[in-house]
Amino acid sequence: MITVAVSGINAADNPGPGVGIIRALKESDLDVRTIGLAYDSMEPGIYLDHLVDKSYIMPYPSGDVEQFISRILNIHSLEKLDVIISTLDAELPVFMDIESKLKQNEIQMLIPTKKMFNMRNKTKLNELSQAIDIKTPNYISCTSYGDLISATQKVGFPCMIKGPFYEAFKANSPGEAEGFFNKLAAKWGFPIIAQEFVKGQEYDVIGCGDGSGNNMGLFAIKKMTTTALGKVWNAVSIKNDRLLKACDRLLEHILWRGGFELEVLIEEETQDIYLLEINPRFPAWVYMSAACGINLPERMVKHLLDMQHETHSNYDSGKIMIRYTNEILKDISDFEQISSFGELENKTR
Amino acid sequence: MNTERLTTLAISDSGFIFDPSTGDSYNSNEVGIKIINLLKQGKDFNELMDLLIEQYEVTEEELESDLNDFIQILKNYHMV
Repeated sequence: MITVAVSGINAADNPGPGVGIIRALKESDLDVRTIGLAYDSMEPGIYLDHLVDKSYIMPYPSGDVEQFISRILNIHSLEKLDVIISTLDAELPVFMDIESKLKQNEIQMLIPTKKMFNMRNKTKLNELSQAIDIKTPNYISCTSYGDLISATQKVGFPCMIKGPFYEAFKANSPGEAEGFFNKLAAKWGFPIIAQEFVKGQEYDVIGCGDGSGNNMGLFAIKKMTTTALGKVWNAVSIKNDRLLKACDRLLEHILWRGGFELEVLIEEETQDIYLLEINPRFPAWVYMSAACGINLPERMVKHLLDMQHETHSNYDSGKIMIRYTNEILKDISDFEQISSFGELENKTR
Repeated sequence: MNTERLTTLAISDSGFIFDPSTGDSYNSNEVGIKIINLLKQGKDFNELMDLLIEQYEVTEEELESDLNDFIQILKNYHMV
């Protein structure tokens, strides 16, 4: 049996990718025990006993690194972890720092290096998009009101005012831009990005790079509906060769290592591809790719464990994903276990 | 007229059209589907006029106007 620990099991209204990854692993041909790494006792994944075999509460990655490593090694001593799949942007830099130490303990991870991680930073998309022969909307990072005024004069109106992590608003005037700037800065901090408005539809491509320029399969969708934070809620699978080729060029250029999500926009009139963002991990909707035959979490685990795995990108277009909300009932003793002892074993396996 | 993109469309009997490269979907009536299928077969505007005027009770002027409108819609959607 293989034991895989996965973070981001907060399957809430702004879901982390963990539960989707675990579901993909459980539906693969791997004999897998799944360990949820949670940061809060109310993360729904902890209680999903058909998916998550055991959960542990983790110290926040923004805290003491030694404490973070110590907790991982403590879990490893109990579970003999084979693989950790990190799914949260905030914890990735910590895992990059400790990956070699984890490897010494025979825990495998497929994550980008710091250099790769920095190359896909929102403020460096110009260089990256040029290198892979696609466009990116003009954008300027702002850390002050003065920056915003200057930036909106350069990108013009309408423009997009975007938070550093989530949320984006279309501003039609300096007054609107100021309002969104203040709202986003209060909620998410700096930098705030003022970006040229490009009219078109948004698409995502996900994949997994092996670190030498090859991918383990690609899967593309059109976003049909999104949440207020811009997260995919409904999607349809598509086959667009231009998009997939752009992804291949990206992987060859930065030799990406690990899961990723390429967010792009196709301009309505010219059909030009604009790069919006590269997320350095699988997205929350990753299960959709597995359900369509491109099980990227399974391929990642098999790659890490030197097992044979598929690399094709043969899937059907026209499959739609419907996300929905649901409720489960658990006994308060489960909450007691996770909140008092920091771990919960689900018994239904 | 370049009709290559039309050949990639998935068209159901009910007139539902799905473009697998963009994820866009459309609805068309029976006549629209007939025109798309004729375009996919490589028929040009004059051939479409000849074929359609035999099958529908319509004047040449009306058909020419409607056909131009429909082809413009296809152009707007980057289908031709």
